[in-house]
This record gives sequence, structure tokens and C-alpha cells, in this order.
Amino acid sequence: MKSSAKFVAFTGILAALAVVLSLLENLLPPIPGMPPGAKLGLSNIVSMYAAGCVGFFPAMTVALAKGLFAFLTRGVTAGLMSTAGGLFSTLIVWLLLKKLRFGLLGASAAGALAHNAAQLMIACLLTSSAVLYYAPILVLLGTASGTLTGLVLGVLLPPLEKLQRR
Amino acid sequence: MKSQFPLFRKRDILVFLVAAVLAIAGFLQWIPKSGTPVAVIEQNGKEIRRVELSSITQPETIVLEGEISVTVLLEPGQVSIVHSDCPDQICVNTGALTRPGQSAVCLPARVSVRIVGENNSGIDGMTG
Repeated sequence: MKSSAKFVAFTGILAALAVVLSLLENLLPPIPGMPPGAKLGLSNIVSMYAAGCVGFFPAMTVALAKGLFAFLTRGVTAGLMSTAGGLFSTLIVWLLLKKLRFGLLGASAAGALAHNAAQLMIACLLTSSAVLYYAPILVLLGTASGTLTGLVLGVLLPPLEKLQRR
Repeated sequence: MKSQFPLFRKRDILVFLVAAVLAIAGFLQWIPKSGTPVAVIEQNGKEIRRVELSSITQPETIVLEGEISVTVLLEPGQVSIVHSDCPDQICVNTGALTRPGQSAVCLPARVSVRIVGENNSGIDGMTG
């Protein structure tokens, strides 16, 4: 991507896509038997793609846009949790994918875990250490959803990279 | 055409190993701890009430006022969040807490109820 206007526009499109995906995900009914609030993290596919193929700062911008959207639509608590989770998980994904050369599945699972860990820390600060009770469930669900989004990205990446080269 | 990022590398196993260790360590914390169950109710990180469950003789409701109000019910031997104005009702669905280590949290209202085990009573053990 050569021109900076194109670059900014592309980042904007990605941010919009991430926001729409998280909005759609919120419309899904909660899965029975799962703790409410457990999510698939579809929009993480976008931030992962941004971290892997576009760059560190566009990826962080996508995470920030998502956090801002949560802040506007779901309140301060949700906004703080989404921003912290998004930024930390994007950082981890970028590190694992670009610097430490992990595979998509490992980076995606680690990103989901980082997302949950950051959210749990915020929840812990806002309420009490009692929320740590949920940690093991979050670890299991995070690993599962992270692996799933990693698989989806594995399918989507080849055509996306072809598009980007144009 | 192949992507520049492989789906799986051997080192990915590291991530899953760490996750497994974390999950197991976390679940081990769920094993009920010994001690006299004492309910601790907190709002905005401040302790509102601390009461030994076995000392409760009749039901008592505590209303925690706030932007989102929460009602906690203390009963002999157990404590539960019975009402919350929050949208997701995770805390209410948690049900009654009876053993040390259990907790119910309402994140939007910043209220938590947990049971800790204390060993300062003169009783060594009890059956019943």
C-alpha cells in the first residue's frame, strides 16, 4: 500500500468491519449452558488480519475504534473492558505473529487469552478479586474461541493477501 | 496460493500448554476450602458487610443502592444476589452461595458477594 490516503482509508474500513462484527455478535442469543458474556470474538479476526498484514498501528487503531464504540453504546465499564482487552490482545497477536513467528492458531488463541486476561484485570480493579473465580472458565472458552477464529483467518487469509497485492 | 502465515507451527503447542496449566490451576481454586463460611459483600471495592453464615438466624435483605441497584439476601447458611437492575443477570443466575471460595459478581453494578473461610471460631468441626 503506497499512498497514505489509501492506507488511512483501508484502516478505516477495517475498523468499521470490526465494529460491525462485534455489533452482530452482540445480537446473537447467549449460548445455553455458557456464562452470558462469553463471546466468539469475531471482530478479533479483523484485528488479527490488521496486525499480521497491515501493520502494528493500524491494528491498534482498529482495537481503539472497537473500544470507543463499546464505550458509546454500552457504557463506561464495557468500554474500558473492550479497550483494554482489544489493545492487549492485538499487542500479543502482533508479537507472536510478526516477531516470534508463531502459527495462526497459536497467535489467535494467545490473543483471545490476552483479551480475557486484560478484561479480568479491569473487572478485578472495578469490583473485587472475587471475579478471579471465573478465570478458569475464561481460559477454556478463550482458548476454544481463539482457535476457532484462528481457523477462520486461516481460510480467509490467502484470498485477502491476493487482494492486497493489487 | 499459500499465505505467508502458516496455520500451525510446533511452537503453537506452547500457547495451549500454558492455557491448560492456567485452567487446571484455576479449577483447583474451586475446591471448597475449609473454615467457617463468612459472607463478604463489597460495592465499588469497599466492604459493605461481613457476616458469618452460621450466625444468621432469619432471612435479611440488603439493598445496595447505586446507578444499578442490587439486592442481596442473607439466609441461614447461605447468601445470594436475588435482584439486580443490570441487563445480563449473571449474578442472579449464579444462585445461592454456601461454601468458602464461591462468589457472585455483578460487574455493571460493581457489587460482589463472596464467601471466605475463617478459622477463628472455637468450634473444631460440626456435623449435620
